[in-house]
Amino acid sequence: MSNPTDMKFLIVDDFSTMRRIVRGLLKEIGYHNAEEAEDGAIALTMLKNAKFDFVVSDINMPVMNGFELLSAVKADDTLKHLPVLMVTAEARKEDIVRAAKDGAAGYIVKPFTKATLEEKVQKIMQKLAATA
Amino acid sequence: MKMDDLAVLAPQMAAGASPEVFQQLGLITRQLHDTLNQLGVMPKLQAAADGLPDARSRLSYIAKKTGDAANKVLNSVDMAKEEHQRISSETRRIAQAFIKDPVKAVASGAVLNFVGDVEAATDRIDRHLTDIMMAQDFHDLTGQVVAKVVALASDLEDSLVKLLVQAAPLEQAQRVESAILNGPVVNPEGRSDVVADQGEVDDLLASLGF
Repeated sequence: MSNPTDMKFLIVDDFSTMRRIVRGLLKEIGYHNAEEAEDGAIALTMLKNAKFDFVVSDINMPVMNGFELLSAVKADDTLKHLPVLMVTAEARKEDIVRAAKDGAAGYIVKPFTKATLEEKVQKIMQKLAATA
Repeated sequence: MKMDDLAVLAPQMAAGASPEVFQQLGLITRQLHDTLNQLGVMPKLQAAADGLPDARSRLSYIAKKTGDAANKVLNSVDMAKEEHQRISSETRRIAQAFIKDPVKAVASGAVLNFVGDVEAATDRIDRHLTDIMMAQDFHDLTGQVVAKVVALASDLEDSLVKLLVQAAPLEQAQRVESAILNGPVVNPEGRSDVVADQGEVDDLLASLGF
Protein backbone atom coordinates (compact mmCIF):
# COMPACT_ATOMS: atom_id res chain seq x y z
CA MET A 1 0.00 0.00 0.00
CA SER A 2 1.47 3.36 -1.07
CA ASN A 3 0.05 5.47 1.73
CA PRO A 4 -0.70 3.94 5.15
CA THR A 5 -3.44 6.52 5.76
CA ASP A 6 -5.39 4.91 2.88
CA MET A 7 -5.76 1.76 4.96
CA LYS A 8 -9.31 0.57 5.45
CA PHE A 9 -10.36 -0.16 9.02
CA LEU A 10 -13.24 -2.29 10.28
CA ILE A 11 -14.46 -1.23 13.72
CA VAL A 12 -16.41 -3.96 15.53
CA ASP A 13 -18.38 -3.07 18.66
CA ASP A 14 -21.97 -3.60 19.75
CA PHE A 15 -22.14 -0.03 21.08
CA SER A 16 -22.60 2.52 18.30
CA THR A 17 -21.16 5.22 20.53
CA MET A 18 -17.90 3.34 20.94
CA ARG A 19 -17.73 2.62 17.20
CA ARG A 20 -18.21 6.32 16.56
CA ILE A 21 -15.56 7.31 19.10
CA VAL A 22 -13.00 4.87 17.66
CA ARG A 23 -13.84 6.05 14.15
CA GLY A 24 -13.47 9.69 15.21
CA LEU A 25 -10.12 9.00 16.87
CA LEU A 26 -8.83 7.11 13.84
CA LYS A 27 -9.86 10.06 11.70
CA GLU A 28 -7.95 12.45 13.96
CA ILE A 29 -4.91 10.15 13.80
CA GLY A 30 -5.10 10.30 10.02
CA TYR A 31 -7.04 7.20 9.00
CA HIS A 32 -10.21 8.35 7.28
CA ASN A 33 -11.29 5.08 5.70
CA ALA A 34 -13.32 3.02 8.17
CA GLU A 35 -16.48 0.94 8.30
CA GLU A 36 -18.42 -0.43 11.24
CA ALA A 37 -19.95 -3.74 12.35
CA GLU A 38 -22.05 -4.33 15.44
CA ASP A 39 -20.94 -7.90 16.16
CA GLY A 40 -18.40 -10.51 15.10
CA ALA A 41 -20.72 -12.31 12.67
CA ILE A 42 -21.50 -9.15 10.72
CA ALA A 43 -17.81 -8.25 10.77
CA LEU A 44 -16.80 -11.65 9.40
CA THR A 45 -19.27 -11.33 6.53
CA MET A 46 -17.96 -7.85 5.74
CA LEU A 47 -14.36 -9.06 5.86
CA LYS A 48 -15.15 -11.85 3.40
CA ASN A 49 -16.99 -9.54 1.01
CA ALA A 50 -14.67 -6.53 0.90
CA LYS A 51 -11.01 -5.75 1.33
CA PHE A 52 -10.00 -4.41 4.74
CA ASP A 53 -6.52 -3.74 6.09
CA PHE A 54 -7.09 -3.52 9.84
CA VAL A 55 -9.66 -4.74 12.39
CA VAL A 56 -10.39 -3.02 15.70
CA SER A 57 -12.65 -5.26 17.76
CA ASP A 58 -14.43 -5.31 21.09
CA ILE A 59 -14.66 -8.67 22.94
CA ASN A 60 -18.06 -8.75 24.65
CA MET A 61 -20.60 -8.73 21.85
CA PRO A 62 -23.77 -10.66 21.05
CA VAL A 63 -24.01 -13.33 18.32
CA MET A 64 -20.25 -13.67 17.83
CA ASN A 65 -17.83 -12.20 20.37
CA GLY A 66 -14.38 -10.78 19.74
CA PHE A 67 -12.53 -14.00 20.57
CA GLU A 68 -14.69 -15.97 18.16
CA LEU A 69 -14.13 -13.34 15.47
CA LEU A 70 -10.38 -13.42 16.09
CA SER A 71 -10.31 -17.23 15.81
CA ALA A 72 -12.40 -17.14 12.63
CA VAL A 73 -10.12 -14.54 11.05
CA LYS A 74 -6.95 -16.42 11.94
CA ALA A 75 -8.44 -19.72 10.68
CA ASP A 76 -9.28 -18.24 7.28
CA ASP A 77 -6.39 -18.32 4.80
CA THR A 78 -7.66 -15.23 3.02
CA LEU A 79 -8.05 -13.21 6.22
CA LYS A 80 -5.37 -14.44 8.61
CA HIS A 81 -2.90 -11.74 7.53
CA LEU A 82 -5.23 -9.05 8.93
CA PRO A 83 -4.08 -7.38 12.15
CA VAL A 84 -6.79 -7.50 14.84
CA LEU A 85 -6.50 -4.97 17.65
CA MET A 86 -8.69 -5.80 20.64
CA VAL A 87 -10.25 -2.77 22.37
CA THR A 88 -12.23 -3.95 25.37
CA ALA A 89 -13.31 -3.42 28.96
CA GLU A 90 -12.11 -6.95 29.78
CA ALA A 91 -9.12 -6.43 32.06
CA ARG A 92 -8.59 -10.04 33.16
CA LYS A 93 -5.09 -11.33 32.50
CA GLU A 94 -6.40 -14.63 31.16
CA ASP A 95 -8.31 -12.70 28.46
CA ILE A 96 -5.22 -10.69 27.51
CA VAL A 97 -3.09 -13.84 27.31
CA ARG A 98 -5.78 -15.66 25.34
CA ALA A 99 -6.05 -12.79 22.85
CA ALA A 100 -2.28 -12.75 22.35
CA LYS A 101 -2.11 -16.53 21.91
CA ASP A 102 -5.04 -16.50 19.50
CA GLY A 103 -3.19 -14.04 17.29
CA ALA A 104 -4.37 -10.56 18.29
CA ALA A 105 -2.00 -7.83 17.12
CA GLY A 106 -2.62 -5.71 20.21
CA TYR A 107 -4.82 -5.24 23.25
CA ILE A 108 -6.24 -1.99 24.62
CA VAL A 109 -8.33 -1.75 27.79
CA LYS A 110 -11.18 0.74 28.06
CA PRO A 111 -11.22 3.54 28.99
CA PHE A 112 -8.35 4.48 26.72
CA THR A 113 -6.84 7.65 25.30
CA LYS A 114 -6.25 8.83 21.76
CA ALA A 115 -2.51 8.54 22.44
CA THR A 116 -2.85 4.85 23.37
CA LEU A 117 -4.85 4.03 20.25
CA GLU A 118 -2.42 5.95 18.07
CA GLU A 119 0.60 4.25 19.63
CA LYS A 120 -0.84 0.74 19.21
CA VAL A 121 -1.99 1.33 15.63
CA GLN A 122 1.39 2.82 14.64
CA LYS A 123 3.24 -0.05 16.30
CA ILE A 124 1.16 -2.61 14.40
CA MET A 125 1.66 -0.64 11.17
CA GLN A 126 5.43 -0.69 11.69
CA LYS A 127 5.38 -4.45 12.26
CA LEU A 128 3.34 -4.91 9.11
CA ALA A 129 5.73 -2.75 7.12
CA ALA A 130 8.71 -4.70 8.47
CA THR A 131 7.25 -8.06 7.48
CA ALA A 132 5.93 -6.91 4.07
CA MET B 1 -44.93 -43.84 46.03
CA LYS B 2 -46.57 -42.08 48.99
CA MET B 3 -45.28 -41.54 52.50
CA ASP B 4 -47.83 -44.12 53.82
CA ASP B 5 -46.36 -46.77 51.50
CA LEU B 6 -42.90 -45.94 52.77
CA ALA B 7 -44.06 -46.46 56.36
CA VAL B 8 -45.20 -49.97 55.47
CA LEU B 9 -42.13 -50.81 53.41
CA ALA B 10 -39.51 -49.34 55.70
CA PRO B 11 -39.56 -52.07 58.40
CA GLN B 12 -39.38 -54.76 55.71
CA MET B 13 -36.47 -53.02 54.00
CA ALA B 14 -34.79 -52.32 57.29
CA ALA B 15 -34.50 -56.00 58.00
CA GLY B 16 -32.20 -56.50 54.99
CA ALA B 17 -30.47 -53.13 54.69
CA SER B 18 -27.11 -52.14 56.12
CA PRO B 19 -26.69 -49.16 58.50
CA GLU B 20 -24.67 -47.35 55.78
CA VAL B 21 -27.72 -47.26 53.49
CA PHE B 22 -29.79 -45.58 56.19
CA GLN B 23 -26.99 -43.15 56.91
CA GLN B 24 -26.79 -42.24 53.21
CA LEU B 25 -30.56 -41.85 53.02
CA GLY B 26 -30.50 -39.59 56.04
CA LEU B 27 -27.79 -37.44 54.48
CA ILE B 28 -29.68 -37.03 51.20
CA THR B 29 -32.89 -36.21 53.07
CA ARG B 30 -31.06 -33.58 55.14
CA GLN B 31 -29.58 -31.98 52.00
CA LEU B 32 -32.98 -31.91 50.29
CA HIS B 33 -34.60 -30.45 53.38
CA ASP B 34 -31.93 -27.76 53.73
CA THR B 35 -32.12 -26.78 50.08
CA LEU B 36 -35.90 -26.51 50.07
CA ASN B 37 -35.72 -24.65 53.34
CA GLN B 38 -33.27 -22.21 51.83
CA LEU B 39 -35.57 -21.63 48.87
CA GLY B 40 -38.53 -21.08 51.15
CA VAL B 41 -36.87 -18.72 53.58
CA MET B 42 -35.11 -16.49 51.12
CA PRO B 43 -37.47 -13.52 50.90
CA LYS B 44 -34.70 -11.39 49.41
CA LEU B 45 -34.34 -13.81 46.50
CA GLN B 46 -38.08 -13.72 45.89
CA ALA B 47 -38.16 -9.92 46.12
CA ALA B 48 -35.20 -9.62 43.76
CA ALA B 49 -36.78 -12.00 41.25
CA ASP B 50 -40.00 -9.96 41.39
CA GLY B 51 -38.02 -6.82 40.71
CA LEU B 52 -36.29 -8.14 37.57
CA PRO B 53 -38.84 -6.89 34.99
CA ASP B 54 -38.67 -3.46 36.62
CA ALA B 55 -34.87 -3.58 36.54
CA ARG B 56 -34.97 -4.47 32.85
CA SER B 57 -37.06 -1.41 32.02
CA ARG B 58 -34.81 0.77 34.20
CA LEU B 59 -31.73 -0.51 32.41
CA SER B 60 -33.38 0.11 29.03
CA TYR B 61 -34.11 3.65 30.16
CA ILE B 62 -30.46 4.16 31.15
CA ALA B 63 -29.23 2.71 27.85
CA LYS B 64 -31.53 5.04 25.91
CA LYS B 65 -30.68 8.17 27.88
CA THR B 66 -26.92 7.58 27.76
CA GLY B 67 -27.03 6.61 24.07
CA ASP B 68 -29.03 9.74 23.20
CA ALA B 69 -26.65 11.92 25.20
CA ALA B 70 -23.56 10.41 23.58
CA ASN B 71 -24.96 10.91 20.08
CA LYS B 72 -26.02 14.48 20.88
CA VAL B 73 -22.52 15.28 22.13
CA LEU B 74 -20.80 13.66 19.15
CA ASN B 75 -23.09 15.50 16.70
CA SER B 76 -22.37 18.81 18.42
CA VAL B 77 -18.63 18.13 18.41
CA ASP B 78 -18.73 17.33 14.70
CA MET B 79 -20.57 20.58 13.93
CA ALA B 80 -18.32 22.67 16.20
CA LYS B 81 -15.24 21.15 14.57
CA GLU B 82 -16.58 22.09 11.13
CA GLU B 83 -17.10 25.69 12.27
CA HIS B 84 -13.63 25.74 13.75
CA GLN B 85 -12.12 24.41 10.56
CA ARG B 86 -13.99 27.07 8.55
CA ILE B 87 -12.65 29.87 10.78
CA SER B 88 -9.10 28.50 10.46
CA SER B 89 -9.19 28.38 6.67
CA GLU B 90 -10.86 31.83 6.45
CA THR B 91 -8.21 33.26 8.75
CA ARG B 92 -5.45 31.90 6.54
CA ARG B 93 -7.18 33.27 3.45
CA ILE B 94 -7.70 36.78 4.83
CA ALA B 95 -4.13 36.87 6.18
CA GLN B 96 -2.78 36.11 2.70
CA ALA B 97 -5.04 38.77 1.19
CA PHE B 98 -3.89 41.27 3.80
CA ILE B 99 -0.19 40.51 3.18
CA LYS B 100 -0.67 40.78 -0.57
CA ASP B 101 -2.54 44.08 -0.57
CA PRO B 102 -3.70 45.53 2.79
CA VAL B 103 -5.47 48.52 1.29
CA LYS B 104 -7.45 46.38 -1.11
CA ALA B 105 -8.31 43.87 1.63
CA VAL B 106 -9.84 46.59 3.78
CA ALA B 107 -11.36 48.63 0.99
CA SER B 108 -13.05 45.63 -0.62
CA GLY B 109 -14.79 44.85 2.64
CA ALA B 110 -13.09 41.43 2.89
CA VAL B 111 -11.74 42.17 6.38
CA LEU B 112 -15.07 43.42 7.64
CA ASN B 113 -16.89 40.43 6.15
CA PHE B 114 -14.35 38.15 7.82
CA VAL B 115 -14.97 39.77 11.20
CA GLY B 116 -18.71 39.30 10.75
CA ASP B 117 -18.26 35.64 9.72
CA VAL B 118 -16.06 34.92 12.74
CA GLU B 119 -18.62 36.46 15.06
CA ALA B 120 -21.44 34.37 13.58
CA ALA B 121 -19.35 31.20 13.67
CA THR B 122 -18.35 31.69 17.32
CA ASP B 123 -22.02 32.18 18.20
CA ARG B 124 -22.83 28.84 16.55
CA ILE B 125 -19.89 27.14 18.31
CA ASP B 126 -21.13 28.53 21.60
CA ARG B 127 -24.55 26.99 20.97
CA HIS B 128 -22.93 23.63 20.21
CA LEU B 129 -20.97 23.86 23.46
CA THR B 130 -24.16 24.64 25.34
CA ASP B 131 -25.82 21.60 23.73
CA ILE B 132 -22.89 19.44 24.88
CA MET B 133 -23.26 20.79 28.39
CA MET B 134 -27.01 20.18 28.40
CA ALA B 135 -26.59 16.64 27.08
CA GLN B 136 -24.91 15.76 30.37
CA ASP B 137 -28.27 15.93 32.15
CA PHE B 138 -28.56 12.19 31.60
CA HIS B 139 -26.12 11.73 34.44
CA ASP B 140 -28.46 13.15 37.02
CA LEU B 141 -31.49 11.35 35.59
CA THR B 142 -29.87 7.96 35.30
CA GLY B 143 -27.78 8.16 38.49
CA GLN B 144 -30.76 7.53 40.72
CA VAL B 145 -32.01 4.72 38.54
CA VAL B 146 -28.55 3.11 38.52
CA ALA B 147 -28.47 3.15 42.33
CA LYS B 148 -31.79 1.28 42.50
CA VAL B 149 -30.73 -1.32 39.94
CA VAL B 150 -27.39 -1.80 41.69
CA ALA B 151 -29.19 -2.44 44.99
CA LEU B 152 -31.49 -4.95 43.32
CA ALA B 153 -28.61 -6.70 41.55
CA SER B 154 -26.67 -6.82 44.79
CA ASP B 155 -29.56 -8.48 46.62
CA LEU B 156 -30.04 -10.97 43.82
CA GLU B 157 -26.33 -11.75 43.67
CA ASP B 158 -26.12 -12.29 47.43
CA SER B 159 -29.06 -14.65 47.42
CA LEU B 160 -27.91 -16.60 44.38
CA VAL B 161 -24.34 -16.95 45.64
CA LYS B 162 -25.63 -18.31 48.97
CA LEU B 163 -27.88 -20.74 47.13
CA LEU B 164 -25.10 -21.84 44.77
CA VAL B 165 -22.62 -22.34 47.60
CA GLN B 166 -25.26 -24.32 49.49
CA ALA B 167 -25.98 -26.60 46.55
CA ALA B 168 -22.47 -26.96 45.08
CA PRO B 169 -20.03 -29.75 46.02
CA LEU B 170 -17.51 -28.57 48.60
CA GLU B 171 -14.54 -28.37 46.23
CA GLN B 172 -16.53 -26.24 43.76
CA ALA B 173 -18.22 -23.99 46.28
CA GLN B 174 -15.14 -21.82 46.72
CA ARG B 175 -14.95 -21.20 42.97
CA VAL B 176 -18.56 -20.10 42.59
CA GLU B 177 -18.19 -16.50 43.71
CA SER B 178 -15.27 -15.57 41.51
CA ALA B 179 -16.73 -17.31 38.47
CA ILE B 180 -19.96 -15.32 38.43
CA LEU B 181 -18.30 -11.95 38.86
CA ASN B 182 -16.51 -11.81 35.49
CA GLY B 183 -16.82 -8.68 33.32
CA PRO B 184 -15.42 -5.16 33.36
CA VAL B 185 -13.31 -4.76 36.50
CA VAL B 186 -14.45 -1.86 38.64
CA ASN B 187 -11.96 -2.26 41.49
CA PRO B 188 -8.70 -3.88 40.33
CA GLU B 189 -6.82 -2.92 43.53
CA GLY B 190 -5.50 -5.91 45.43
CA ARG B 191 -6.39 -8.41 42.68
CA SER B 192 -3.72 -10.38 40.89
CA ASP B 193 -5.96 -11.82 38.16
CA VAL B 194 -6.72 -8.51 36.44
CA VAL B 195 -4.80 -5.53 35.10
CA ALA B 196 -5.33 -1.99 36.37
CA ASP B 197 -4.24 -0.02 33.32
CA GLN B 198 -2.81 -0.17 29.80
CA GLY B 199 0.76 -0.24 31.18
CA GLU B 200 0.07 -3.56 32.90
CA VAL B 201 -1.44 -4.96 29.70
CA ASP B 202 1.75 -4.03 27.82
CA ASP B 203 3.97 -5.48 30.55
CA LEU B 204 2.01 -8.74 30.56
CA LEU B 205 2.19 -9.09 26.79
CA ALA B 206 5.91 -8.23 26.81
CA SER B 207 6.56 -10.89 29.45
CA LEU B 208 4.95 -13.42 27.11
CA GLY B 209 7.12 -12.31 24.21
CA PHE B 210 4.43 -10.40 22.31
